[in-house]
Amino acid sequence: MNTDEILIKVSGLKKSFGEIEVLKGIDVEIRRGEVVVVIGPSGSGKSTFLRCLNRLEEPTDGNIFFEETDITSRDVNIDQHRQKMGMVFQQFNLFPHMMVMKNLTLAPVKLRHKTKEEAEQKAMELLNAVGLADRADAYPSQLSGGQKQRIAIVRALCMEPDVMLFDEPTSALDPEMVGEVLEVMKDLARHHMTMVVVTHEMGFAKEVGDRILFMDEGVIMESGTPEDFFGNTKTERARSFLDKVL
Amino acid sequence: MPDWFIGFLKKLEYVFLQKDRYKQILTGLGNTVIITLGALVIGVIIGIIVAAIRSSYDKNKESLKLRGGPGYYILKVLNGICKFYLTVIRGTPVVVQLMIAYFVIFISIKDGVPIGIFAFGINSGAYVAEIFRGGIMSVDNGQFEAGRSMGFSYIQTMRHIIIPQMFKAVLPTLCNEFIALLKETSVAGYVGVMDLTKAGNSIGGRTYQYFIPLFTVALIYLAIVMLLSWLVGKLERRLRKSEH
Repeated sequence: MNTDEILIKVSGLKKSFGEIEVLKGIDVEIRRGEVVVVIGPSGSGKSTFLRCLNRLEEPTDGNIFFEETDITSRDVNIDQHRQKMGMVFQQFNLFPHMMVMKNLTLAPVKLRHKTKEEAEQKAMELLNAVGLADRADAYPSQLSGGQKQRIAIVRALCMEPDVMLFDEPTSALDPEMVGEVLEVMKDLARHHMTMVVVTHEMGFAKEVGDRILFMDEGVIMESGTPEDFFGNTKTERARSFLDKVL
Repeated sequence: MPDWFIGFLKKLEYVFLQKDRYKQILTGLGNTVIITLGALVIGVIIGIIVAAIRSSYDKNKESLKLRGGPGYYILKVLNGICKFYLTVIRGTPVVVQLMIAYFVIFISIKDGVPIGIFAFGINSGAYVAEIFRGGIMSVDNGQFEAGRSMGFSYIQTMRHIIIPQMFKAVLPTLCNEFIALLKETSVAGYVGVMDLTKAGNSIGGRTYQYFIPLFTVALIYLAIVMLLSWLVGKLERRLRKSEH
């Protein structure tokens, strides 16, 4: 369900680490309900691009508009906007000293001023949806990688975000656990969650993506629907990348 | 009973029971414990603040510089103050710091105990700060990022996510600092505090019997330290167990 509403607008985004320019000017618009999959060789800047969207990396130049607010502006309180942008990491980053339920309710209780009961009820619903309701009282160290990542997705969803950012969510998983995480992500897409996904899972990109962004050397080389991109690859770089990964 | 043993008991009676001299040992032990605990509380509070400033400077200076504004400069100045504090406190003997506090800074206060708490607290804060800083740096950066990405501010992330994990990591080291502090307070006598060491020394002076009071004092320190070490060991084992 793509609406015409622009949720995120990136213009002229640049990022340097010291002398090295990792992003060399990114312009892209992401509509509400859209699933954008970012692919490209390692070192192409796709993770940096994603991490700039919630300013986990501070952009060197350019603007990012989220829900019509320029979140790169100095007087913006980024913490408030981040509450509406869920993020899922390659390494899960669950809080090891808290049980699963506490992981899920910490932010809603502290930041959204929900009561513990409200937050737990919401968390339980979401845990049920990903089939992990029985692990609410477990510590992260007692979970498998796939379970950890599903919990991490639920943790982000507990804040009821408007967009979900995925930074290679299946790259640290054993192969047999990739499926269960992708299944949760597909389910999210079916429920019209706006998603930006950095991944190496070409199958997921083809099946779930509304749009593919192919990045290389700090720019978006190619952008289009999965049919277009995979069926009618325009640039030489994208072709050679696809030859290697497919 | 052999004669030497009866002689020993008589000496004990003379040294400790006559004129209720054992009470000095009790007073001294009490003061030693009060100074150590008070200093530990101050040290932990200073330690958390200094460690938080130092590690936020190390972690955020690049991005703050990029953002512009006064934030970077405020943090830089605070970090400079902390560094100065650490250098001076760790670079001078604690007994000199104690004497400066008593004879120079708080010249109007005659009771050495609160000054001891203050001076040892300031001193211990410098060591605790570095322990905490190491602990904060040892927490995986992904934990910071997860907290921040959910919308927690830097301070909230520290408070709810990083510091609880840091405490777990540094608890054994912190207990060792506590043990070291307990022994360091034995110089409190320099500013007229009747601490455990001073009590032993003073009884020795009055009775011309140094052997018994000093060994008693040493045994009391040893007993406390061994008890604490045993507790630390237990704690360490328990922490390791809960980590999987």
